[in-house]
Order: sequence, then C-alpha cells, then structure tokens
Amino acid sequence: MPTSSADAAPSALATRGLVAGYGDVVVVHGVDVDVQKGRLVTVVGPNGAGKSTLLKAILGLSKVMDGHVMLDGAEVTGQPLELLARRGIGYVPQVDDVFETLRVSENLEMGGYLLDKSERAARLDEVLEIFPALKPKMRRFLGTMSGGERKMTAVARALMLAPRVLVLDEPTAGLSPALTRVVLEEQARVLAHHGKAVLLVEQKAHAALEISDWAYVLVRGSVAKSAPAREVLGDPDMAEIFLGATVRNEGAR
Amino acid sequence: MKLLIEAIGFGIATGAVIALGAVGFSVQFGISNVLNITYGSMMTLAAFVGYAFLQLNLNVWLVMAVTSVIVAVASVVFNRLLLEPLKRRGTSFVGVIIATVSAGIVLQYVIVAFVGATAHSFGQQSGRTVSALDFVFTTSQLIIIGTTVVLMVGLHVLLTGTKIGRAMRATSTNRTVARACGIRTERIIDFTWLLSGALCGAAGVALAITTVSFDFTLGSSFLIYMIAAAVLGGIGQPYGAMVGGLVVGIASQIAGAYWSPAYQDVIAFVILIIMLLVRPRGLFSTGTANRRLANA
Ligand SMILES: Nc1ncnc2c1ncn2[C@@H]1O[C@H](COP(=O)(O)OP(=O)(O)OP(=O)(O)O)[C@@H](O)[C@H]1O
Ligand SMILES: [Mg+2]
Repeated sequence: MPTSSADAAPSALATRGLVAGYGDVVVVHGVDVDVQKGRLVTVVGPNGAGKSTLLKAILGLSKVMDGHVMLDGAEVTGQPLELLARRGIGYVPQVDDVFETLRVSENLEMGGYLLDKSERAARLDEVLEIFPALKPKMRRFLGTMSGGERKMTAVARALMLAPRVLVLDEPTAGLSPALTRVVLEEQARVLAHHGKAVLLVEQKAHAALEISDWAYVLVRGSVAKSAPAREVLGDPDMAEIFLGATVRNEGAR
Repeated sequence: MKLLIEAIGFGIATGAVIALGAVGFSVQFGISNVLNITYGSMMTLAAFVGYAFLQLNLNVWLVMAVTSVIVAVASVVFNRLLLEPLKRRGTSFVGVIIATVSAGIVLQYVIVAFVGATAHSFGQQSGRTVSALDFVFTTSQLIIIGTTVVLMVGLHVLLTGTKIGRAMRATSTNRTVARACGIRTERIIDFTWLLSGALCGAAGVALAITTVSFDFTLGSSFLIYMIAAAVLGGIGQPYGAMVGGLVVGIASQIAGAYWSPAYQDVIAFVILIIMLLVRPRGLFSTGTANRRLANA
C-alpha cells in the first residue's frame, strides 16, 4: 500500500513543506501534496481547515511562508498567477469565480485570452460541448445568472486554455446533484483520463472521493490522512470526524 | 424661450467638457477601483501645461493633444508611485481616497508655487461663432463637442468591441480571475491610467479653453460636476458618464440662467445627492456593474 501518491509517477504539481497564511497568521502548516498527470486528487476537510488557503498558496494568492510549489518538477513558489496560467495551470476560485459584469461569451473569450482567434473559436466549441446548457445563454450577463450557471461558466472559462494542471476549489458548490455528477464524473474524471492533473477541493466529499484516485484529509492546516480515495471513504475514523458531517451537508446544499 | 435655448447651448458645450472629464474619472474608478480625487488637480495641471505650450505660439488643438499625452504619462506614474503601493499594503478603499484627496491638495499648491494664484486665460473666447437652429456656438466649443463625441464613441468601441477593452472590463470586475486567464493585469491597469489620464488632460485643456479665465482651483472646483455626471451615468460606465455630463451641463446652465449663476454648483450637488439616494448605480445600471460604489 503506497503511503503517498508521490510513489506512482513524477508529479505534475507538488508542494513540499508548504507553510502559508495571511499576514502573520499561519493557516497551512507544512503540507505535502502530489498530483500526477492523469490523476484526480481531492482535498477534503472541515470548514476553515485551510483547503482554499492551500490552493491559494499554490497559485501565489496567499502568503507562502516556507516550503515549495513545483510544476513539472520546476520550482514555481510564489510566482504570479498570470505566469502560472501561462505555464499551464487552470484555477477556479471558490468564490468570485466569474466576471460578473461580462457576458457568458465574454467570460469564455477571456478564458481563452492567450489563444489566437481561430484557436479560441475551436476551443469554445469544445468547451460548449461539455456545457451545452451554456449555449443558449451566451449573451447573458453573469450578474443575472443562477449559482449553478455561474459555476458552469467558471469551470468552462478555466477549461478554455486547456490547462495541463487544473486546480478547482469547490467547483460543484451550488450545483444540482445531477450537475454535480456531470462536473465530477464527466468533467473532473474525464479530464484526468485525458492526462490532466486535477487537484480538487470538495465539500461533497463522498461524491468527490468516489471518483478520485487519491485523497488528502486536511484538518487544521495539516494533512491528517493521505491515502487512496477509496480507503478514506471506507475509513470509519474519517467518516466520524468528517465525512459524516459532510454527507449531511450535501443534502442541505 | 431665447434664454432657455441659450442655456441649453451653453449646457451642451459645458456638458461636453464635463463628459470628457467624467469619462476619464469614471474609467479610473470602474477599472482601477480607485476614486481618484487628485483628478481635479490633474486637470488644473493640464490647463497650466497647456498654457505654457500656448506661450510657444503652438496651435491650441496641438497643445491639447500634447498636454493629453503628458498628463496620461503623469497619471500612470501617479498610480504606480502612490496608489499601487498603497493597495499592495492593503490600504482600504477609503484610505486610498483620502490619499488622493491629499495628493490633490499637494499638487494644487505645487502648481501655485510655480504659476502663482493669479488668473490666466487661453484667450479663446472671441473668434467666429456658428449658429444652428437657435443655438450659437463658438468654433472652439464646436471642436470640443466634436472631439468629445469622437473620443466617447471610440472609448465605447474600445471597451466593448476589442479584446483589450474586454480585458479592461474583465480586470475591473475580477482581477484574480483575469490573472487566472493569463492576463497581465498590471499592464491593463497601466493602460487604463494612460487612457483616463489622456482624457483628463484633454478635459483640462478643454475646460481652460471654454472658461474666460482660470486659476489653480480650476480642476478641483470642476470635480463636483464630473462626479455628479459619473454617478448619474452609473460610475464606471463611460457612455453613462457621457449622458450624465450632458444632463449636468444643461441642468446647471439652466439653473444659472433662470435663478443665479451661484446655483450652478448647487445643481450638481443636488443631482449627486438625489442619484445616490434613488439610483446609486446610475440611470442605466444593469445589475451588478456598480455594486462597489453603492456599497462603498
Ligand atoms: N483573506 C484572509 N485573511 C485572513 N484570514 C483568512 C483569509 N481567508 C481565510 N482566512 C482564514 O484561514 C482559515 C482557513 O480558511 P480557508 O478558506 O482556507 O478554509 P477552507 O478549508 O477552504 O474552508 P471552507 O470549507 O469553508 O471553504 C480560516 O480560519 C479563515 O478565517
Ligand atoms: Mg474553501
């Protein structure tokens, strides 16, 4: 039984001893995370555990106090987000994840900002194949759309650049059970199949772990467990301290 | 009736200058998220830079163009040296406003130190007039109105019809997601200040051309009109500011003609207060565009 997902193959995205937070406040205490090409890795943990802060540290958005972030083995610690985007990392934040004052079409156009015109048009068709529900809404402003439609736009926007590494912070928040399944099983899972490295943070732990290769359980800023997702799913301790509560939350969402 | 028509004519001419200034101000707020009170003093700076060039016997429209470029660059430098460092340190929205108020006062008195507190004039009041319908405009007024219309349409096309324009709007709504798209938002912000600074410079010279005489308070006393116009049109929305400029210009001229010139400023304040009470997001708001001001 591997003790770390790092045993499998070189990591597309990795952190080593990552310490991060805001100002003087340390939120993430020395975290090692590995995401290989073609793998879907999920971080679960209670509210306030530091999941979003961990992702933000990877993306240069929260303060990295110590440790390293590596992209394909190259150190990218603290690099500005726009550079990371250009190097192939896609990111969907937990909140404020779209351009509210822009139309859906413009959101997606911005997603493909780095592409030239014909590439962008081709990519747009591909992305709309994934989210056909957006097709009739292309001219709508995001400010007037539902939570689920916004999330779809946000994920679609991130896919426009066809990133090699995708970092998703609760991409299913506010989505219906059906759409959650679409995003997790048909999106995240399929993206991993297509060779992307996907790092996912999910509240809907059960649904996420069922389709994940590896799981990290983050508690108070530290990794409490790092194991194959199936194992975390079946772990009675985890169910008690964390999954139980989350399963109940899922109904409420 | 003649009085009304005259007032409307003046209002359109004033409104064009207000619109020019308000749009630059509005773009700064809308895209850079800074309510830049220094803008008024920057317009004064433009008037005096323009005045200096005029002494070299340059054509007044060439002066306007050259001054625009200078104020555009000065605006970028101002943002980089003062505002961006403040924002990086996490200074609050209101903190940044206070910094721009202070910087505006400093700039105003730096100008006094160089040119004194006496009145200056561009001497553009005379010259040929053109009448259409019952309106009478001087040629410089007409050129300013024309320039404003061209710049406004150009800006609208830039913001809605071009990739960089959409990137500007994207950056203004959500800088983090813009960066996640690979957009170099610092460059976008620089471009925004360059553009709005150019409008500020053009507006400052236009204002100096259309007023009989001006001193170091020119821009700061004009600021209220531009803020009123920007709020009326929905701050951050250039075409709104354009309409806002016209409304404020005409309303203040009518108030000046029928009651007393002293009411010109009052009208601007009244419009501002009513708008903030009734439609803080502007006449043409489409939802979330201006939530920031409403909540500020
Ligand atoms: N911008 C910030 N400044 C200061 N502290 C912050 C900031 N954002 C988050 N925190 C703090 O960091 C801690 C972890 O927050 P984080 O958002 O990373 O949690 P999370 O695991 O993503 O939670 P959730 O499941 O609710 O999204 C919290 O205690 C929070 O108060
Ligand atoms: Mg979070």
